[in-house]
Order: sequence, then C-alpha cells, then structure tokens
Amino acid sequence: MKRVNFFYSTKLTFDDYVHDHTFSLRIIPPETNTQHILSCSLNITPYIPTKQTVDAFGNNVTAGYMRDDHRFLDFEIKGSAEVEHLNYRTDYMPCYLYQSPYTKPDDALKAFHDSVKENCTGTAADKARYLCNILAETVKYEKGFTDTTTTAQQAFALKKGVCQDFSHILISLLRMEGIAARYIAGLAFCDGETHSWVEYWTGDRWEGIDPANNCAVNDDYIVISQGRDFRDCAIDRGVMFGKYTKQLQLVRSELT
Amino acid sequence: MTQQVQFTKAVGNANEINELLRRYGVKFGIYKNGVFNEQFFPFDPIPRVITAEDFKSMERGLAQRVNALNEFLFDIYHDKKIVRDGVIPEDFIYISKGYLAECEGITPKNNVYSHISGIDLVQAKDGEWYILEDNLRIPSGASYPLIARDLTRIAAPQAFEENSIIDNRGYAELLKSTMEYVNCGGERAILTPGRYNAAYFEHSYLAELTGSVLVQNDELFVEDNILYHHTYSGGKTRIGVLYRRISDEYLDPLTFLPDSLIGIPNLMEAYRSGNVAIINAPGNGVADDKGIYYFVPKMIKYYLGEEPILKNAPTYLPFYEEDMKYVMAHLDTLVIKDVAEAGGYGVVFGSDLTKEKLEEFRKTIIAEPRRFIAQEVIDFLDLPIIEGDETVMRKADLRAFVLSGEKTKVWASGLTRFSRNPDSFVVNSSQGGGFKDTWVLSR
Repeated sequence: MKRVNFFYSTKLTFDDYVHDHTFSLRIIPPETNTQHILSCSLNITPYIPTKQTVDAFGNNVTAGYMRDDHRFLDFEIKGSAEVEHLNYRTDYMPCYLYQSPYTKPDDALKAFHDSVKENCTGTAADKARYLCNILAETVKYEKGFTDTTTTAQQAFALKKGVCQDFSHILISLLRMEGIAARYIAGLAFCDGETHSWVEYWTGDRWEGIDPANNCAVNDDYIVISQGRDFRDCAIDRGVMFGKYTKQLQLVRSELT
Repeated sequence: MTQQVQFTKAVGNANEINELLRRYGVKFGIYKNGVFNEQFFPFDPIPRVITAEDFKSMERGLAQRVNALNEFLFDIYHDKKIVRDGVIPEDFIYISKGYLAECEGITPKNNVYSHISGIDLVQAKDGEWYILEDNLRIPSGASYPLIARDLTRIAAPQAFEENSIIDNRGYAELLKSTMEYVNCGGERAILTPGRYNAAYFEHSYLAELTGSVLVQNDELFVEDNILYHHTYSGGKTRIGVLYRRISDEYLDPLTFLPDSLIGIPNLMEAYRSGNVAIINAPGNGVADDKGIYYFVPKMIKYYLGEEPILKNAPTYLPFYEEDMKYVMAHLDTLVIKDVAEAGGYGVVFGSDLTKEKLEEFRKTIIAEPRRFIAQEVIDFLDLPIIEGDETVMRKADLRAFVLSGEKTKVWASGLTRFSRNPDSFVVNSSQGGGFKDTWVLSR
C-alpha cells in the first residue's frame, strides 16, 4: 500500500473567442478495489457549473456547457489516494475481448502475431509478459512521430511511438490471443505527463502491465479512466464554435 | 369480387392521386454516385387488402416479436442472460456493428428500447406470412400510406363508404402517445439532419401530425445534463423526448464519432441521466442485425416462454458448421445477405450469379462466415399494379409499424412496397420501387 498525491492540469487557450462550448472530462480518478480516493478537488476556470455521471466503462464523467464567449478553459484536479494494486479489480466486460477502432490489426500486425504466437504460451500473465518483451524489442519509444489519432496498425508500421501506441499494440496482440484487455489512462511516477498502460484479464481479475516501460504495474500507478482504447478514455473532449479555433493545450501532471 | 370493385374505383383516379402527391412534395432522397437526388415515390392505386382475420393473428405475432426484441435489448445492455445461458453465441453480439458498449448499463425510460419498430413481412403463395427483417433503428415510411390514404379519400371517397376499412389516421395519436409514454419532462421534438436526408419529407410531416417541434442539431444544446432547444426569442425550452433520424454513431460527438457535425454534444450524458428519452434507443442495431434475426424465434421462447406466432423465412448461418454445409451445397438457389448492409444493398441471389462469380462468392463466405446469412427464396404472392393501361403482377412486401408505449400496438395499415422490375424480389424504395396503400378491413 502506498499513499500518493496527484495533480493534473490542462490549459486550453484559443486564438479567438469561442462560444457554445460543450465538453466532457474524464479526469476524476474512480474509487476502486485498488485505489481509495482520500481527497479530490476539481477546479474549472472560468467557473462553469458541471454535472457528474459514470459511463459504461466505470469512468467518472464531468460534463459542462459554456454559452458565452471565452478565450481559455483551464481545469485541474488535485487530491490524494491510497493505492494497493494487489487488491485487484474484477469489473469485467465482454467487449474487452474484441478489437476496437484503435486496436484493429491490419495484415502486417496479424502477420507479426502469427510469427510470435508459437512462443506465446502459458497463462494469460505469461503471454502478456512475453508479448510485452517482444514489443519492447520491436517498437522504439520515441516522441513526435505519433499523436492521439494514431492507431495500433499505424504505430506498428512506424515501429515508433509513445505509451498510448505501445498500449494499443499490446491490446491488439492480447485480443488476437483471445485474452481480454483494456486501455488505462492515468498517472505514474515514471512519467511527467499522463501515462497509459494495459490491463489484461487473467480469468478472474485484471492485472496491470506497462508496455512502454516493459514492467508490471505496482502502487506507483493511479488510474484515471479505462476503456476499449484511447477513445473511451480521452481526458477531455469538447466541441465549440468560433472563427479561428486553433487551440493550444498545456498539460502538467504530478504524482508524489 | 368486392376487391375488384375497389380496385377499379380507385384506379380511375391513379393519375390524379400521383399528381396530388407530387404537388404535396411526397418524395424521398437518394444518394447515387455521391449526388443527392430527390425522387418521386410512385404510388399505385390498387391497395393491398388484409382481412380482419389475417390481421388479427398478424397483430398478435408482431406484438409478440417486438416485445421479445425489447426484452433482448434490455438483457444485452444489462445482465446478458441469453448469452450466459448459451442461447446466442457471444460473438454474434459483440462483433455486431450495432452493439454499442457505450450503452452498457443505461436503462431507457420504462425499459422501452424500440419505440417504433418496422417489421418487414412477405406473404407466400399459400397465404402464410413470413418475417423478412426487423428494423429497430427508427424505420421510415409510415408517412407515405398516411398521406396517400388522405389523398385517395379526396379522389375516391366512394371506396371508403362501400368498404369497411380501418381508418389509419390514428397513427398520429399512436405516435404521440408512444412519445409521451417515455417523455422525461419537456417538449416533444423530432430531430432531422436536414432536407438532404432521405426521409426529410417524413420528418416534417410527422412533426406536424404529432405537434412536435422539428429541430436540427444546431438549435439544441445540453446544459446541466438537460437537453434544451434555443428559442427564437433567445430563451430555452426543455426537451423531454427526442425522435431522431440520425444514426447512433453520429448522435453525440463527445461519446461516439468525434468528427460528427450533425450530433448534439453530451446528448448521451443527458440520456444516461434519465433527463431525455431518445427514440429509438441508441444501441438497438444489435437486435436488428441480420445475423441476430436467426435467433429471434429463440428469443421469443426464451423471454416470453411462448411459441413464435409468425415465422422467420428459413435461414441458415454459415457460422454453424452444419448450416455451412447446407449453404455450400445449395448456394445457387439461396439468397445471401451481407449482415452489415441495409436498404436492399448486399443482397445476392445465388441463381443470378455466373459459375465463376458463384465460386468467388463461395470463398468469401468460407473466409468470413459471420458476415453472411443465407435464406430460402420465398415464392411470395404477387400483387397487381397498374402499368400504363395494363394491370401487371409484381413482387411486394409489407412494412408493418409496431409502436411500443404502455402497450405494444400494431398500426392497422402499413407500407406496401413493390418492385417495378418483373424479375426482381428487391422492393426497397432506394432501389426504385413504388408503394401502395395497405387496407386492413374491420370485418
């Protein structure tokens, strides 16, 4: 068990005034078997009334609407939690067994799976570790080549990517192996920004694995959201109207 | 004999009615090679007549089927008992494009998922009715027989004096009460993607009939997880029930396709919170998937403990080994449907294929067995239509409209569509067919 303090902030700045801005945030870490939230506060500037719901995947959703003209929107969360990853989560959904838009393999990724599946044996945990090792040898962690729209097949073709891409490729491979897997967005000690990793289903519980760092998940990780792939987990999604809506996004996160 | 009399009475006014339809703008839009065209939907004045007795058993069968489908949708988005009990293989649910994991755990008001169901049937030569497909994602078409009936009344009033035809104008009231049954507090609204949509005429017509506001997405917004309509005076009014003609994946860019420009951001949050009803419920596509069709009779037994009153057309799933063998052996006589397609697209008659094409198709089915269903070609009853000065016989189907409010009710009318091409079994309006009024006799 570990006690951690978390902090995350995003600053959206627009070139010109925008209005009728609707957003939904998946930013408040859920209370689960493995993490007990001791405190958590969400601040949004300028002030906008919001509503909370829980989505199909168990994520806390904060929804808001700002009709008037504005040029920026900032939101931050701050809080503390007790993390005990050995308490394991059991919130299974069958959809995690099937490929989703970001993880759908192309012929190259399928061929790659075919080439490694002979040595991919044992329990779900053995297979996950094996695939994670192979992935670390095959794909290079490098920033600047992929973005949030990059799919598993695109990142695999580049053989380069960041945590999101490693997660998508590993999920794709696990699902091809017949192992249910889900995408996790969260915060970790090893990363200055938001992090992403993977959970796979062992048959009776979820187990975390971090493909970007090729290691198991421990008490140094805090889950913010989960889903079939990145799309279900995006920390902020929004729609707004305005003339020039080039937006600048600054993200800062901390786990202490 | 009596039918013949009705025919000739109405026939004399065929041109007159079509002229009126044209003037009223009864059209449907169609995209062909990327170009939008509005087409006139030709009306044939000879009605399809359904006897009171025939309708009675059809009515029971349709209500039974729709009740089971509603139970199925609730089950799939909650406990999934039917999968756990092995009645439907898991793959068929989760590979279906219509299944939306985003809808897991959401319970629509009063548990109604399919408020308006369009069930397509054909009558075989022996008089037996067969279900061809279920349409649970807001089926269109109810407005055509409504307006045609109105105009026929003007053009041939005697036909209605001399025959005991059930008045079909009750549809407006039926639709209104179906909407009111799930209203979460607020106005009734019909959401249209605009006039370049295949069913724009219908949207505006139904809005007028049911006293609902006709809206486009830019007039709507979600605040505090409540759906509002911007009013012209700058205020806002709450919407409690939204009849929409937008596909699920375009409905809310913050939940589904992020680049949808025709959706309403955070509509799903308002819906999940129980602040607005969406007609029909998002996620219904999993139940009208052509692959799931095969399992509907099993659903009726599973959920209702009843024997299905209406039959499915004999259907084979290449997914099952035994069915695959049958399909391979009889490919040249079966009709094969691609489960992902709609509107008459992706339907292939084995008998139409050359030997080479048939072999090619065989390989496709073996490679992707889940993608197809195969059905026996039903020798369905031809109906008379007027072509020039002649009466000719053509294939026709019937779309019955079933409305699920406090009770499940079948509209005593429906859309009869026919094929213009004497050799074609495909009657979809997007494939160039026409329509007839459907008379249900009261005795």
